[in-house]
Amino acid sequence: MENSEYRYRNNARTQSGRPRQQVRSANPNRNRERTVFTRQYDFALLFLTIGIALFGVIMIYSAGYYTASLQNNPYRYVKSQVFSLMLGIGAMIVVSMVDYQVFMQKILNTKITLVHLLYILAIFLQTIVLVIGVDLNGAKRWLRIGPIQFQPSEVSKIAAILFIAYAVYQKRRDLDHFLGFVRIMIYMSPLIFLILLENMSSAIIVMGITFGMCFVASKKKGYFFVIIIAGVLLLAAVIFFGEGFRLARIRMWRDVENDAGAFQIRQGLYAIASGGLFGKGLGQSMQKLGFIPEAYNDMIFSVICEELGVVGAGLVILAFLVLFWRIVVIACHAPDLFGTMLCTGVMIQLAIQVVINIAVVTNTIPSTGIPLPLISYGGTSAAIIMVEMGLVLGVSRQIKQK
Amino acid sequence: MRNCKTAQRQRIFFSFAVICVMTLGLVGRLAYLMIGKADYYGKKAKEVQQRERAIKAERGVIYDRNGVVLAGNKPVSTISVIHNQITDKEQVIRVLSELLELKEEDVRKRVEKKSSREKIKTNVEKEISDKIRQMNLDGVMVDEDYKRYYPYNELASKVIGFAGGDNQGILGLEVKYDENLSGQDGSILTTTNAKGLEIDGATEDRIEPVAGDNLYCSLDVNLQKFAQQAAQKVMKSKNAKNVRIIMMNPQNGEIYAMVNEPEFNLNEPYELEKKNVTEKEKEELLNQMWRNHCISDTYEPGSTFKVITAASALEAGVVKTTDTFSCPGYRVVEDRRIRCHKTTGHGAETFVQGVQNSCNPVFIEVGARLGVDGMYRYMNQLGILEKTGVDVPGEAVTIMHQKKNVGAVELATMSFGQSFQLTPLRLLTSVSAVINGGRLVTPHFGIRLESADGTAVKKLHYQEKDGALSKDTSEVMKTILASVVSEGSGKKAAVSGYEVGAKTGTSEKLPRSSKRYIASTLGFAPADNPVLLAIVLIDEPEGIYYGGQIAAPVISELLDDALPYLGVERATKKESSDGN
Repeated sequence: MENSEYRYRNNARTQSGRPRQQVRSANPNRNRERTVFTRQYDFALLFLTIGIALFGVIMIYSAGYYTASLQNNPYRYVKSQVFSLMLGIGAMIVVSMVDYQVFMQKILNTKITLVHLLYILAIFLQTIVLVIGVDLNGAKRWLRIGPIQFQPSEVSKIAAILFIAYAVYQKRRDLDHFLGFVRIMIYMSPLIFLILLENMSSAIIVMGITFGMCFVASKKKGYFFVIIIAGVLLLAAVIFFGEGFRLARIRMWRDVENDAGAFQIRQGLYAIASGGLFGKGLGQSMQKLGFIPEAYNDMIFSVICEELGVVGAGLVILAFLVLFWRIVVIACHAPDLFGTMLCTGVMIQLAIQVVINIAVVTNTIPSTGIPLPLISYGGTSAAIIMVEMGLVLGVSRQIKQK
Repeated sequence: MRNCKTAQRQRIFFSFAVICVMTLGLVGRLAYLMIGKADYYGKKAKEVQQRERAIKAERGVIYDRNGVVLAGNKPVSTISVIHNQITDKEQVIRVLSELLELKEEDVRKRVEKKSSREKIKTNVEKEISDKIRQMNLDGVMVDEDYKRYYPYNELASKVIGFAGGDNQGILGLEVKYDENLSGQDGSILTTTNAKGLEIDGATEDRIEPVAGDNLYCSLDVNLQKFAQQAAQKVMKSKNAKNVRIIMMNPQNGEIYAMVNEPEFNLNEPYELEKKNVTEKEKEELLNQMWRNHCISDTYEPGSTFKVITAASALEAGVVKTTDTFSCPGYRVVEDRRIRCHKTTGHGAETFVQGVQNSCNPVFIEVGARLGVDGMYRYMNQLGILEKTGVDVPGEAVTIMHQKKNVGAVELATMSFGQSFQLTPLRLLTSVSAVINGGRLVTPHFGIRLESADGTAVKKLHYQEKDGALSKDTSEVMKTILASVVSEGSGKKAAVSGYEVGAKTGTSEKLPRSSKRYIASTLGFAPADNPVLLAIVLIDEPEGIYYGGQIAAPVISELLDDALPYLGVERATKKESSDGN
């Protein structure tokens, strides 16, 4: 197996042009006569993605209506979100139609590929956002180009996924050693550092993506568990000896019912607890009426709980699990390791965001601002996730089934 | 699968499993919050979402003994604005500043403040608030309210006291019975959004207010008026600093009237005559103005205290009415020569005559016979050293020598009412025991509390202690004190048609060199079965300052008015002249 993988990779490298063809031409030595190839575009995943996003639009309308009405623009958030989603869905379909191997293509006989360029672009955007970024709520996280405003950190996430997938594809065996993992961490560190300067939450996600993808790529488990244990210890140290801002968050987390800073989380908890089994009904949330600041944003899950109850919230979580499962299936059937790693990266990113978002909203962990993927209001995030889903769909398109 | 190898597959499945476990944990956490903690957080959420609007409870009415309102309520309004509901800001500002006579910029500041509800003015007269209500301005709220109202303005002001705008008693009975009078505020709970706007169609929870209990007190408006007029008259004629009068029922301690002239207007309790004073001075002056001198200030009782000394000596059996004494005009105690008020001396006299003459040497002798132990024993029995327990706050306690420090000189001065201080009410209460057969009562105002609908009545009970003196001593004392009026220094307290008992007193204020006096007389009638006991204190009178000369006539005047009012029949003229 090991050999065949390498051979396949070498083939891909030696001939430029159309990698997909080469996959096929590499196949003849293996069981050709017993296999019937059909292309398997995962429509289920496509519709699930769009379905979750549409549900998100409904919830943004519900959760944001009050705030938007105060600005005499009741459809403000919905319009903006729908616009981003349309762009995103368009991009998703286009991306899914392009062979994803195009990212590994050498440009003009240099060693540079699209993956490299994307990584450099991410570094560039994260750098200039520190300088000319738009300051919202005390942090420079936004870039404005003409009428379009977006968060470079979202671009960085997709860049990180592609970059790591490519690195793993290039030298998977390195990951069987700790140093290989360190090497990838070194590659990623400039990006993570730049994100960390203004946006800890996104830095955590990119770190999580890196770690998770390396874990999946490696054959050895030992050092990952050592790292996890070290991480837990480090976290405990931060909790006990942390200072300033972080400490304040931990205080908020522990004393959510009284701490002034925990206002948003506390109001979210009131919303969640008011939901009961079936919720108050769509549109009936009380807490969205100005009690939860920006209820349509990171806190949107609490409004879902209040309006749709445990059952509704459970169904949302179930929808995400089904989505992840589809991605897992595609990852396992991907025609090459690059595809596998792409899918893995996308799933890890989404899973981290879902888990952390819900954990924060339920005050299970200290608060950090991470949107609920596809549902929370936020154009950049929604559009980029759509593109990522496009990549996964592109992988699914190349699956060959018997 | 050859492209995705088993190792990676396993890892992907493992990752997915980890994700599933984590989400399952979160679902568990959600279920815990949404079902397990639903009640707890649900209640908290309601607290946040509901706005409470208080409905003020009506404060209980204070009635006099005949059901005349002493402290009532009149409807007023509170005007407030709700920022978000205002449509025509300028009009609101203009109308409110005009009608409420407020400065435009003050109103503007409040109107423009982004709060859910901003009070503009409280205690607005009904006719003005009705006008505002009729204009139907968006965002302007008119809330019905009550204002404490005292129909008799300054009558018994320091006893009744007053309540502040927040329905909280500040002085007098209004403080003492605040808990009963104030009732329980109700509230309207309305569901609102975060800006405090009510949500249409949301349910309203209403908790009805419970009106305060009504207080019936022992004061009698008419007697209080008699007393006040008498006090004002004598204060004016003697240009005195202040005049105090207490009238009470010596049998049970009910106080009919308590005057502290000058009084103040209860409807304007913060208005001072003197303007342009600093905050601190103002506070000082207000406290002075509100002070109930009958209860909160002590004085040297002087000769009126001889009632106590005489009663003690008779009770102890150290003196008999027929015992004879001799007064050369002074008496030497240790190295002191203590003068009698009659410097030429009263000569030979019986004990009864000694009391009639208010002769100091007689009382020095009687005091000496009682001794320090005897003196303190009976002072204790008659309650002199304790507070009376009257149901008005701020009672002062008697300032008395420590027993161990009392030598012959101190004992001598104490026996005729000098060198210690007590409140007029304390003296009057102890004298009540002397003339009512030896029952030590608790002087009081409150008689009963009634719930607003009249269903629940609570009678107020006060401590009474029999046996402070024997009945015999009491009978003898009544006779002696009646003879003070018929034959002695209290002649001017006499009332035609009634047998009056009295004792006069003239206290020299400290320092003695200042030559300032308090002229006082206590009197009661009918002498054999007193229904009324009164005391008059004239503080710093000009000109003649003897109690028997200026205070006794006031007692006479009071009893002359009060006794017929209380239904005591006046004897025929002939009999009365015999009595005198």
